[in-house]
Amino acid sequence: MSKYTVRRSGLTMPIVTARFVDNAWRRGCDFVILDLEDSVPQHMKPHARTLVNAAIAKIARAGTEPFARINHEYMLADLDAVVWPGIRRIRYPKTECGDEVRQMDAIITRLERERGIRPGSIEIDPGIETAIGVTNVYEIAASSPRIREFGATSGGYDLSRDLGVEMFVDYDQFVYVRGESELAARALGLGVRVAPFVANTSGSVSDGDHAYRQAEAARKCGFHLGTGGLNPAVVEGHNRGHTPSDADVRDAHWVLEQYERVLASAQTWLTIDNRVIDRYEAARARDTIDWARACAERDREKEQAVARTRAALAAATGEAG
Amino acid sequence: MEPSQRRSWLLASLSHPDRIETLARCGADAIVLDLVEFVPEEAKHAARHEVVAAIATVRAAGAAAFTMVDPELAYADLHACVWPGLDGVVVSRVESAAQLREIDELISRLEHERGIPTGAVRIALALETARGNQDGYEIACASPRVSALTLGRADLIMDLRPEPDGEIHLMPYLMQRLVIIAGALGKTPLGAWWRAPDRGLLATPQNTYQAAQRGRAIGFKGTLCLHPDQIDPIHRAFA
Repeated sequence: MSKYTVRRSGLTMPIVTARFVDNAWRRGCDFVILDLEDSVPQHMKPHARTLVNAAIAKIARAGTEPFARINHEYMLADLDAVVWPGIRRIRYPKTECGDEVRQMDAIITRLERERGIRPGSIEIDPGIETAIGVTNVYEIAASSPRIREFGATSGGYDLSRDLGVEMFVDYDQFVYVRGESELAARALGLGVRVAPFVANTSGSVSDGDHAYRQAEAARKCGFHLGTGGLNPAVVEGHNRGHTPSDADVRDAHWVLEQYERVLASAQTWLTIDNRVIDRYEAARARDTIDWARACAERDREKEQAVARTRAALAAATGEAG
Repeated sequence: MEPSQRRSWLLASLSHPDRIETLARCGADAIVLDLVEFVPEEAKHAARHEVVAAIATVRAAGAAAFTMVDPELAYADLHACVWPGLDGVVVSRVESAAQLREIDELISRLEHERGIPTGAVRIALALETARGNQDGYEIACASPRVSALTLGRADLIMDLRPEPDGEIHLMPYLMQRLVIIAGALGKTPLGAWWRAPDRGLLATPQNTYQAAQRGRAIGFKGTLCLHPDQIDPIHRAFA
């Protein structure tokens, strides 16, 4: 099994919009976040909770990982509605302290046991979207072994509202927030979910080109985990941007060949073609090669799942006709 | 020279003892005799034997003599390094206050055994890992010997790579954080504000000057460097 969990692209969609959920398997994303929070109007919350169990299977048939996002205010009712076999991760918005996460962990642990889910398999993804959350970020990140990946606020909508920070600007308005979160994640050895700053002054959420540049920048920075998006137009860009190109893989093999020369010398580094070759560059090259392999494996897995689903749908249509 | 006035700290690998005299005479304020970064594993033993002579060479050239040691190999490294004439050690990849306390105690014992005035050997902390940075304040409090803080080669050790605008990912945050910790404790922050595509090993004198100037502008007082032609631009920038 690969050491990587390949989560390059994802879509957050309202659980109550049937056409989004029904078509999610055609989108090619690595994960889908079934949203019970911001995209679900207050009066539809009870109805939303009844839809999750069936939606999980619809998402998973494309090899896509089903996630859910619950409401900060309705932790208990929402967890009861989303903890079903097949759910992989639950996002808890506007996390303020570690106690909230520990409470959530205890509830999930009970529901896993009651519903025949492998203990400890469901991840928690605490959202850092308020000033108090930023203040307590290390304590939050350390609060449960269910937290395996961690990232600063990705879009920053809620945080910008909490602090009165402008949203679509041409400078990185969250240097401190991102830094605190990322340092905590790294110090704890968690997967780091980071989007390096790429200006988006238009505020568009359906700009495939911006999505590609953002994902590529993240990958070139060494990050593998995608932050996802809202519009299907960004999925392809996120997948492509997060996957090493053939040229990148060839270059990585070249670096490893050159590193053999370093190892054969009495030096710790050499300059070859005006590039420094040392153990750090070699480690980056190995990561590129391994990550490219993991991406290819994930793509095959998804293609096979989609093919099976198409065949099943065609058969069902045939029988009906 | 007051320790806080040392602007240039030139690394010199103890794997190449023949080059140390030349490097010591290039005008750097301090020479950091390296046992960690540029000494291959199999050469460590031989390198440790070079330290005593190298300290004398550096001091004779008028520079301060530091050694860079590995906390994982603290016992062997410090036994090799702590001799009269040594100004201090750069502790690389330091991860915890407990680790630093052990190093402090070992130095105290060696000072006592080897006739060095108590407390004479200073420590410059290189916070190069995530854990070391996270706990940087606590670590810097763990020994009264600590006089300087640097991020060292954190960009490589933490695998921080260039962003599209040329900044090295996370470094603007880590640099500011280090300057704050140093300021809060009255220590000297060392560093330069590098931007892609420069890496210390290949930076030109011109790029070194700009990086040092930007570094000075955010509070650094001097910086480690890897090549003699970086000394002059560093001295100009931190003048």
